[in-house]
Amino acid sequence: MNSNDAIFAQLATLCSSLVLLFGIALLWRRSLVAYVRAFRWQSLALALTFALIGYFGHNRELYVVAVILIVLKVVIIPGYLTRLYERVGGKREAQPYVNIATSLIISGLLVSLSYAITRPLVTVSKLPTRNGIPLAVGLILVGVFVIISRRKALSQIIGFLVLENGIALLAALGTYGIPLIVELGVFLDALMGFLVMQILVYQINDTFESIDVEQLSRLRH
Amino acid sequence: MKFLLLLLPSLISALGAYVVRPYRATVGWLNALLSLLSLGAALVFAGHAARGAEAPLFGPGELLRADGLSALLMVCVAAASTLTLTLSPGVGTETDYTHAQLRRYQILINLFIFSMLLAVSANNVAVMWVALEATTIFSALLIPLTRSKSSVEASWKYILIGSVGIALAFAGTVLGYFDFVALTGRAENALNWPALLQNAPAMHPEVMKLAFVFLLVGYGTKAGIAPMHTWKPDAYGEAPPALAALMSSALFAVAMYAILRWKIVADAAIKDHYADNLLLALGLLSLAIAAFSVAQSRNYKRMLAYSSVEHTGLICFGLGLGAAGVFAALLHLVNHTAAKSLMFFLAGDIERKYGSSAVKQTRGLLKVAPWTGGLFAAGLLALMGLPPFGMFISEFALFRAGFAQHHPWLMGAALLLLLVAFVSFITRLNNMLYGEAPAEVAAGETVGWRVAPMLLGALALVALGLTLPAPLETLLDQIMRSVSR
Amino acid sequence: MIGYLLEIGQALLALLLAPGLVGFIRAVKARLQGRRGAAPWQPYYDLRKLFGKEAVVSRNASWLFRFAPYLIFATTVAVTMLVPLVAAPLPFDAVGDLLMVVYLMLLGTFFLALAGLDPGTAFGGMGASREMTVAAIAEPTIALAVFGLAVGAGSTNLGRIVAQTLSHPGAVINPGHLLGFAALFIVTLAETGRLPVDNPATHLELTMIHEAMTLEYSGRYLALIEWAAALKLLVFFSLLANLFLPWGVATTLTPGGLSVAVIALMAKLALLGLAVALIETRIAKLRLFRVPELLGVSFVLALLSVTSSFLLR
Repeated sequence: MNSNDAIFAQLATLCSSLVLLFGIALLWRRSLVAYVRAFRWQSLALALTFALIGYFGHNRELYVVAVILIVLKVVIIPGYLTRLYERVGGKREAQPYVNIATSLIISGLLVSLSYAITRPLVTVSKLPTRNGIPLAVGLILVGVFVIISRRKALSQIIGFLVLENGIALLAALGTYGIPLIVELGVFLDALMGFLVMQILVYQINDTFESIDVEQLSRLRH
Repeated sequence: MKFLLLLLPSLISALGAYVVRPYRATVGWLNALLSLLSLGAALVFAGHAARGAEAPLFGPGELLRADGLSALLMVCVAAASTLTLTLSPGVGTETDYTHAQLRRYQILINLFIFSMLLAVSANNVAVMWVALEATTIFSALLIPLTRSKSSVEASWKYILIGSVGIALAFAGTVLGYFDFVALTGRAENALNWPALLQNAPAMHPEVMKLAFVFLLVGYGTKAGIAPMHTWKPDAYGEAPPALAALMSSALFAVAMYAILRWKIVADAAIKDHYADNLLLALGLLSLAIAAFSVAQSRNYKRMLAYSSVEHTGLICFGLGLGAAGVFAALLHLVNHTAAKSLMFFLAGDIERKYGSSAVKQTRGLLKVAPWTGGLFAAGLLALMGLPPFGMFISEFALFRAGFAQHHPWLMGAALLLLLVAFVSFITRLNNMLYGEAPAEVAAGETVGWRVAPMLLGALALVALGLTLPAPLETLLDQIMRSVSR
Repeated sequence: MIGYLLEIGQALLALLLAPGLVGFIRAVKARLQGRRGAAPWQPYYDLRKLFGKEAVVSRNASWLFRFAPYLIFATTVAVTMLVPLVAAPLPFDAVGDLLMVVYLMLLGTFFLALAGLDPGTAFGGMGASREMTVAAIAEPTIALAVFGLAVGAGSTNLGRIVAQTLSHPGAVINPGHLLGFAALFIVTLAETGRLPVDNPATHLELTMIHEAMTLEYSGRYLALIEWAAALKLLVFFSLLANLFLPWGVATTLTPGGLSVAVIALMAKLALLGLAVALIETRIAKLRLFRVPELLGVSFVLALLSVTSSFLLR
């Protein structure tokens, strides 16, 4: 591996760690404002990673992807989220199902777990960015954990968005991104999925007068 | 050309429903007629594939392709869609929905059908994924049609679990593509099924194993494999009957199709029984959970949902039992599509009559509405796997394959669980059919002319049970030939 | 021989610089808050004053109360001899490495807590329990954070770690490195009693941790404890500076190299002091319930640093 590759590897791993850390910040903070801000910064770091890989990997399509990421996930979606929590429900997450200190320790364990299960991937890959792959899978697991352990519907949506960021990071690090057309389709789907979730949160608020998912427990046997 | 005939009718229907304000019944009739075009195109594809001809391609980068497996699924989805659109609310019969709701229903259900058809005709892995995500979105918008508390709750759970599943499936897709970059650089059409299959033997088994786990969990969430099935009872119970019918028959089939496609690639790469064992394990888990959940269910719509999970388990078994098992699984899929779509319409009718979907409150069905009751009983007996219906044949083929593959204990356990489910179904069915009807229920059939298509569906089931129609058999054989290569 | 002289000289240098560091931080804070504040060498005057005063000991206190300040002071001075302040490697490295440093500091904290409990006052007990809450999570994090570096260097010997980083400068932007720095920085704030964990300038019941334990002390005992606290601050800062950004540390024992090292050390200490002063001015103190959460974050960062260094060797 020549020195250019070495610098590339370091920077890529650095950016991926930032993306992961902003994801873990979701488990630390309590207010929805902080969640949205963490998501914004995470998407920015993700776009930076894409641009970095585009530069070092000589793939111009990734610059386009980075720009779309910024427009979609740093501007549009956080804007919708802000409007959502201003109109619906309070700004604080209620006591989550798992308390914060335990959540943080669990997230550390999840990342260690992801290191273990992605061993074969890291050994197989010859790309300079392979060291960041465990971080991407770790972010996926952290996203799933946020969805499970949070009580407000809005926090669950943000957990889902973080999960998607993790998968995008995995695609970037593992395969230098996927073909542009597909990427566009994925973005469109993500946007539509988010809009539908948003619509549903409004509907939940209208029918239940709250977005605490503890209220959503009428359906049993 | 045939592809356009397959896909465009539902798009046009959606557009028509969007444009026409306020909703008129003619829109519904037109959409039902247009769906016949899709069904025709699908049958042509099926005939084409049954004759063993080369799979037709379409679109830039060979976007769409109709080989045997796709054709079979196209027929299933198109047939279920036609039935659904014919029996939809607002199509000639009285209904409790408002005009705005009916319009929304027509737009969304046609878009839903379009995305399902796109998913089965896509040649590109990623396009299939995008189409499946689209189905989640459209169905999630459609479930809370009446904006009641329980339907909003059901829809929220459905979209959250479904989206997480689809996202994980995408991670699996990326991992499947992972080796490509390592092996061949960024090739054109790298995400097409034939290209994947061609390069599969050279891929690293460990990477493919991880990818398959993600894919199974992801698409399995859409299909309702336990333990990712928790959204099913809620969603099927609260959705409008037409949507529930389509979701439980067609969408389920499309999700299993996705799993089967990836399994073929994974088997070529992994070269041992890893994927088979995973499917067998999850199949057994689904059967177990379904059997015991049916025993506890108090609501007949949720009972049907658990029956779906039970059949999911059986089909997973089939997929994990080699070529003969896949044959049985596909046959089972066809039968299941026919039976399930019927059942939810009947359940919807019964609910409208009795005002509740609790089993305890639904008594004396045979006296109050003999045709509905009779068809419901026939459908449920079919779902339980009794002769002379088609499910009996496919389950028999499944177990034969299982014993041939030397899994006697597994098959024994499965039979036991089926027995548990059988007993639960029979007790509830008896409760519903016989006894005294509650006083406020008006006696008299409400099903009207719609009994004709339903009867057609039931007769199809019997036909499939008494014989295995030659075209179907040839098609399945062709599929087996391409799968085991 | 020269090496041992160097060690003693290093300890003396630390003893000399520590109160100045505390005074520097106070002066910067004062300026940032718009006050003139005391001069940066005020702590030296305070120490001289305290040494001259009579030590008043409570009648309920035991021998532990009089013994603890000496022990705390001794362990902290011992730590200064094991940490690479101006040069690496050092002759005492054979005796003490990372784990020894952690244990010595923990010994000091332990006896300080005991001394807080000893006179039987309410404030002392409260301070001791709070201190233990903080130390319970902070101590393992120190070990983990530096362990992340140790994995890369192949040894827990602090001098060896410094040498390793000096020879591989590209490793500075390694995520394991940076995560370890972040974790250790948060722990520094916790262990040395700085905001947002503990306010060093307060004596309010609701907010003090370190001050609560030392409330009963006076005279030379208080002087020793204050000096030890300042030394601890210096040690943590130099760990942060020299483990993660070791340029300036002398690898050979030449007068030129050593003087450069001393100047580099003072510069890094000033920089870190500035950073801490800025943070203390910007951030409010955390509620006590939130402190474990903050330390949980630092623990996770340290854990991530270790896993990434370990599994990406």
